[in-house]
Amino acid sequence: MDPLEALVAQIQGLSSSSADIARLHTILKQSDDSLRSNSSRLSPIFSLIDPSIHSLGFLYVLDAFTSTSVSNQQQAEELVPIITRFISGCSVEQIRLAPEKFIYVCKRLKDQVMLLEAPIRGVAPMFTALRKLQVSTEHLTPLHADFLLLCLLAKSYKTGLSILDDDVFEVDHPRDLYLYCYYGGMICIGQKRFQKALDLLHNVVTAPMTMMNAIVIEAYKKYVLVSLIRHGLFSTSLPKYCSPLAQRNLKPFCQNPYIEMAHTYSTGKVADLEAFVNANADKFESDNNLGLAKQVVSSMYKRNIQRLTQTYLTLSLEDIANTVHLNSAKEAEMHVLQMIQDGEIYATINQKDGMVRFLEDPEQYKTCEMIEHIDSSIHRIMALSKKLTATDEQIACDHLYLSKVGRERQRYDFDDYDVPQKFNI
Amino acid sequence: MDLSAVTAALESKSYEKIADICDNLMLQVAADGAAFHNDWPYAIHLLSHFYVHDINSARFLWKTIPSSIKESNPEVNAVWKIGQQLWLRNYGGVHEAIRGFEWSQGLQDFVAAFSELYTKEVFQLLVSAYSTITVEDVALFLGMSEEDASSCKCATARLDCGLCLSDAYCEEATCCDRAETRPP
Repeated sequence: MDPLEALVAQIQGLSSSSADIARLHTILKQSDDSLRSNSSRLSPIFSLIDPSIHSLGFLYVLDAFTSTSVSNQQQAEELVPIITRFISGCSVEQIRLAPEKFIYVCKRLKDQVMLLEAPIRGVAPMFTALRKLQVSTEHLTPLHADFLLLCLLAKSYKTGLSILDDDVFEVDHPRDLYLYCYYGGMICIGQKRFQKALDLLHNVVTAPMTMMNAIVIEAYKKYVLVSLIRHGLFSTSLPKYCSPLAQRNLKPFCQNPYIEMAHTYSTGKVADLEAFVNANADKFESDNNLGLAKQVVSSMYKRNIQRLTQTYLTLSLEDIANTVHLNSAKEAEMHVLQMIQDGEIYATINQKDGMVRFLEDPEQYKTCEMIEHIDSSIHRIMALSKKLTATDEQIACDHLYLSKVGRERQRYDFDDYDVPQKFNI
Repeated sequence: MDLSAVTAALESKSYEKIADICDNLMLQVAADGAAFHNDWPYAIHLLSHFYVHDINSARFLWKTIPSSIKESNPEVNAVWKIGQQLWLRNYGGVHEAIRGFEWSQGLQDFVAAFSELYTKEVFQLLVSAYSTITVEDVALFLGMSEEDASSCKCATARLDCGLCLSDAYCEEATCCDRAETRPP
């Protein structure tokens, strides 16, 4: 009998119980090569097997089918619905038996929708796929980064934001983490959630690295700009837990114009900053950071007004306009009004006298919401602390860690630490 | 394309839910591969984002709308004009944009509800931000005539005007003392 037909029969027959599926899995692994060599004859099989019942078999066939390169739109147009249908219908237990193949198929989906120039078609399937692949919400799969990339290209920023709220604890490959945090940072910048963007970009910049990579450099550039927008200052010294490679090499790559911009920002003069941005516009443009650079300039006004609240109790609108280099008192009034609306400042405007009175933060920390907020923060920190203790204990028992520590301690106190030269378990 | 969820939400006046419904539906429809751009209710989708103060999502949505629709559909452009004024925080301009167009049957209620919500919010902002303000500015921000503004009746806003802008320029001396003008 034709080996393909035999295989289809086995897929259909052996997909009911977990013992059968284990057998099927072995058979499929053995037939992988023959599937790949017959990839051109595989398309009729898709109508014979059901993605929800025969998920594992479907996955192997799909993997072999997509391993050939698809370069024209018509083939992509046929392939995308098959993969989409599979992802929405497949059974979670079966696909978790062959995660690398599932990931490969999903990545091919991403390639196809980008070939068709319709990234929005891939957003919903990719979301379903990553939820199915994830063992828990703390697990970062390679699909997270692709999902965020599709969200960015399709401009569905709000959808991308929904998975960024999950705390990540387990990561399969470091590269996934870099890309996830970098794209995540971009999505947060688009939704103007600058603190979260800063946290994510910080993760990329401080992640352990064995060699320089482009993702970290681009992330650092955005990190500088977002830090200026959010905090109005930027410190060039990286934290101690950063890899030494990053500490030595990031600054030279980003010196001009990003770190220069941070220096110009600290002078507090809007005109200088604007001139600087205009002079370096093409450099910002080539990094796709020109919009962000312009946001830095407009944040300077806010920063200067906020600085005034620390010195003055009341100030006239004219004086604000002059100090902050705005054109008129009316413009100053509009700026202050917008900052009040955004909650960035507490003040009241008195139009009759043309004065602004700066107030203290009216938060009394007495409301129920505030108590709930503090309570939930305490619980979160307790959970985090438990997790850290558990991880610490786990690492203390880890073979690699003990052998390295054992070797080093040798140097100092031979008598106290009776650890053999080689730590063989 | 099944837009029944959107219509149901419009009819039950749960306007704040429409943004999520539209977003999810759009992703589902796109995943199915159907060409949906011509039939998609972009005007409602954009307005739903304004209603929940998510101008960023509205901006991104506008960028994805094909230019053929932008050219052929004046209502979508009119809704976007509101969005532009919201983005620029041109408080008076928002009211002008709302009034400056003949909204179609399906959109009238939604636009009216949005207008009410917006006026209410601007009023709250004025109360908390200003201790004194001219009648002209109130009229501009709330999109009313000066008589309505100065009498603090706020008819279209339909607010509980228990607190007022204590205002030396304000004609009606029914306004309360200067002291406590914070909303309860």
